[in-house]
Parts: sequence; C-alpha cells; structure tokens
Amino acid sequence: MNQEISLVVNGTSHTVRVGDHWTLLDLLHDALDLKGTKDGCGEGVCGACTVLVNGRAVRACLTLAAYVQGAEVVTIEGLARDDELDPVQRTFLELGAVQCGYCTPGMIMMSKALLDENPNPTRDEVREALAGNLCRCSGYTKIIDAVMAVRGAD
Amino acid sequence: MRLPPFQLHRPETLQEAVSLLAQHGEEARPIAGGTAMVPMMRFGFLRPEHVVSLKGIPGLDEISESDDGLRIGALTPLYRVAGSAVVRAQWPLLARAVGSVATPAIRNSGTLGGNLSYAEAASDPAPALLALEASVLLTGPEGDRTVPITGFFQGFYEADIRPGEVLVEVSIPRIPAGARWSYLRFAARSREDKPLVNVAVVATSEGVRIGLGGVSPTAIRARRAEAVLQGPGLTPQAIDEAADAAAEECDPLSDLMGTAEYRQDMVRVWLRRALTGLQ
Ligand SMILES: Cc1cc2nc3c(=O)[nH]c(=O)nc-3n(C[C@H](O)[C@H](O)[C@H](O)COP(=O)(O)OP(=O)(O)OC[C@H]3O[C@@H](n4cnc5c(N)ncnc54)[C@H](O)[C@@H]3O)c2cc1C
Ligand code: FES
Ligand code: FES
Repeated sequence: MNQEISLVVNGTSHTVRVGDHWTLLDLLHDALDLKGTKDGCGEGVCGACTVLVNGRAVRACLTLAAYVQGAEVVTIEGLARDDELDPVQRTFLELGAVQCGYCTPGMIMMSKALLDENPNPTRDEVREALAGNLCRCSGYTKIIDAVMAVRGAD
Repeated sequence: MRLPPFQLHRPETLQEAVSLLAQHGEEARPIAGGTAMVPMMRFGFLRPEHVVSLKGIPGLDEISESDDGLRIGALTPLYRVAGSAVVRAQWPLLARAVGSVATPAIRNSGTLGGNLSYAEAASDPAPALLALEASVLLTGPEGDRTVPITGFFQGFYEADIRPGEVLVEVSIPRIPAGARWSYLRFAARSREDKPLVNVAVVATSEGVRIGLGGVSPTAIRARRAEAVLQGPGLTPQAIDEAADAAAEECDPLSDLMGTAEYRQDMVRVWLRRALTGLQ
C-alpha cells in the first residue's frame, strides 16, 4: 500500500515514498515539506491547492500522488528566481491583491497557467480562468487588476 | 485531510483492469481523473478497498472521426474534447457543453467517461449527448456491450454499468447538414456552479431532439416536448407548448440550489430560450 514516486518539483528531481491513498497535496506537504500550496475544501471547489502539472493547472487535492509519476510539477515556491519575484507575484504585491493570503498561491498558479497559454487575456478571460478560485477577503477586483497588469494590458 | 487507505492498482491494459475489477467485486472501484472519486472517498460516500486506475491505459484517450461520426475514448480529459478542432467544427454543441463543465482546472483532470459514469443529473455533457443520440461502449467480464445514451442514465448517480465493466468509448453520429443547435446552462449563483438546469437542442429536418439536465434524478430526453414540435415545427405557440410539456415531464428534486417547482419553471424558461435561439 506504499509506492515510490519520482517526479520533478520546481526544477528539482525527487523520489519519495507515499501511500497509495495520498494525493499530490499530501505529497507536497508531507513528503517534500512544501506548505505553500494551501488546503481549502478538499473537493475541488476553492482552488487554494492549484498547482501546475506538466504545464496545466490542476487541483492538488483531487490528484492522486500516483498520477504525477514522472511529471513536472510547479508550485508557488517555484516561481521566484533567486531574489526576483515572478511578474505575477510582483503585480499581486504592488496592486494589493493579497489580504489574508490564503487563496493567493492558488490564484497565482491559476493566473500563471492562463498567462502561459494566453499572454494577453481580456478582463473577461481572466475572470473566466479564475472563476474556480475563491477569495473570501478581496472582492476579486484587485486580483483581476493584478493579472491584467502583468503585461500592462487593459 | 487524508483519504481513507486503499490499495491502488495501475493496470496497463483494459483486460487487466476488467479482471482486477471482476476479481475484487464490490470492494473495487475504477478511477479516471479522480475529480468526483476523490471527494466521494474523502467524505465517506465510497470506501473501496481496491481502486483501479484507468488513467495511463494506452488507447483510451483518443478522439477519432470517421464516416459514421465521432469516437471519443472514455479517458479523454474534458479540456481536450472541448478544444478539439474536429469537435468544434463538426459537433459544436458538444464542444460548448463540455467546455462549460466547472472551471479550467477541473476540465484538465476530469474525463468524459468519468463525467458520464458519475451519472450526475447536473452534467453539462449529458444533455448534449442525449440530443446528439450518442451511444457508449462498455467492456466487461462478459465481453463488449453498446448502450444508447438514452438508456445509460438509470437513476440518481446511477448508470448502466455492470459489475466489472469499464466505459471505453463514446460514439456520436454525424449531424445532418443544415441542422441547428443550442446549448444553454443556467447556474443560479455564479459561473463555477453546476447547472441548475441545462438544455441541449438539435433541430434537423426530421424533428427536434431535446436533452435536459439538472431536472430529474438523471439527465433526460424530453420526448413529450419533442412530440409537441413534430407537427407544427418551431412556431411561437408550439414552442410555448413544448416548454410546458418539458416542465411537466421532468421530475426534479429540491436541494440547496433550488426547489423542484423552481427547477420546473426554469425548464420552461430555458427551453423556450433555447428553441427561439437556435444557431
Ligand atoms: C468542483 C467541481 C465542479 C464541477 N462542476 C461540474 C459542472 O459544472 N458540470 C459538470 O458536468 N460536471 C461538473 N463536475 C463533475 C465533473 O465533470 C466530474 O467530476 C468529472 O467529469 C469526472 O471525471 P473523472 O475522470 O474525474 O472521474 P472520476 O472521479 O475518476 O470517476 C467518477 C466516477 O465514475 C467512475 N468511472 C470513471 N471512469 C470510468 C470508466 N471509464 N468506466 C467506468 N466507470 C468509470 C468512477 O468509479 C466514479 O464512480 C464538477 C466537479 C467538481 C469537483
Ligand atoms: S483544496 Fe483543492 S480545490 Fe479546495
Ligand atoms: S486574500 Fe484572503 S482569501 Fe483571498
């Protein structure tokens, strides 16, 4: 009921032992001690656990750990380079898109996935992409402003 | 919160998956993307001892077009169905319905076969596939079986999948040239909600086919509404009568999202809109 999983997380290769019933979120938190990805609802609704697997945004809380065997995973900890924040992190900070911060890692990863696919989204496209990420503090406007500001759009 | 423990099997062929499911019987359950299975296990609705992963079995996630129509492997993720150039060009109703499921991250993991096997009444793809007269191919210990989608949804979260069977593929016939269609979904609160009511319509020279979701223990074909339109066609009066007939023939449940009566009213409203706004 245990398995060995080899994967690349934020550019580093790892081999970890996890239970068959572990999710990717369990793997990140408990095998790799990466706590930046948040655990909100555990049922796919809130988006706090969003990470990139082979470039696509998924819910870490719904993804079996076995499904990331051989995959490339990027989490919020993987965005900054040395001391330089990722542009999405920077605009979130500069435009005050963070309040309590619980939704922020998921919001930022979802925004990354959108911008990688569509570097110049319209405001409506940003809203559509972030529809599955809930924020109980901000009222969303500043989050959308921050994503739009990444490429100086709008 | 950790999931309750289970043993995960990762078969490499469909035959192996079927024999694992047959061998472990009631104790086993297949998993595809896991977007519905994981919450069901986490909240204790399902406690399988053996979970058989279908993901990674080669050949189950392909989309192919032939003279007869379209075939979509059950393990094809929803985002690939919605984004497929062939589906968008030839079966735009299906692309629209599948692209309406949840939000992007759910569509990246969730599969078409998983959506149908889950047999939720509030499925976006189900009414579209009902109106398109799709069929599904199952394989199990007794061999292969083809089931028209109109007979596949049998009850509340219940599909016609026998013990040990796996849904392999969805087939969709060609839509006659000149056919018109519509897909509308109504979510009462916000975009990421499952549909309270959704309506798919295909109108050909032979008649109108209507799929309804969210309105019954399962998604249904609105046969009585279709029959109303058979003689007169899409006149304003016939459309009103068809909308009334559809509201009558569905048997919705009341839940947090809306009462049964409200759902019936919404069937009337949204079917009328779908029939007056065919593309
Ligand atoms: C937050 C959220 C929002 C959602 N919103 C919507 C929505 O708006 N519209 C909508 O239509 N759906 C919605 N869904 C449901 C979603 O579409 C389904 O969860 C998804 O399609 C299931 O696919 P899966 O591959 O993840 O299936 P899984 O979760 O892996 O499996 C689902 C069920 O089907 C069985 N199963 C899976 N594949 C097969 C197979 N090939 N053969 C036999 N049995 C199989 C499993 O045993 C299980 O019982 C939502 C889900 C979530 C989590
Ligand atoms: S914790 Fe995964 S979506 Fe809420
Ligand atoms: S900043 Fe608190 S939940 Fe979004």
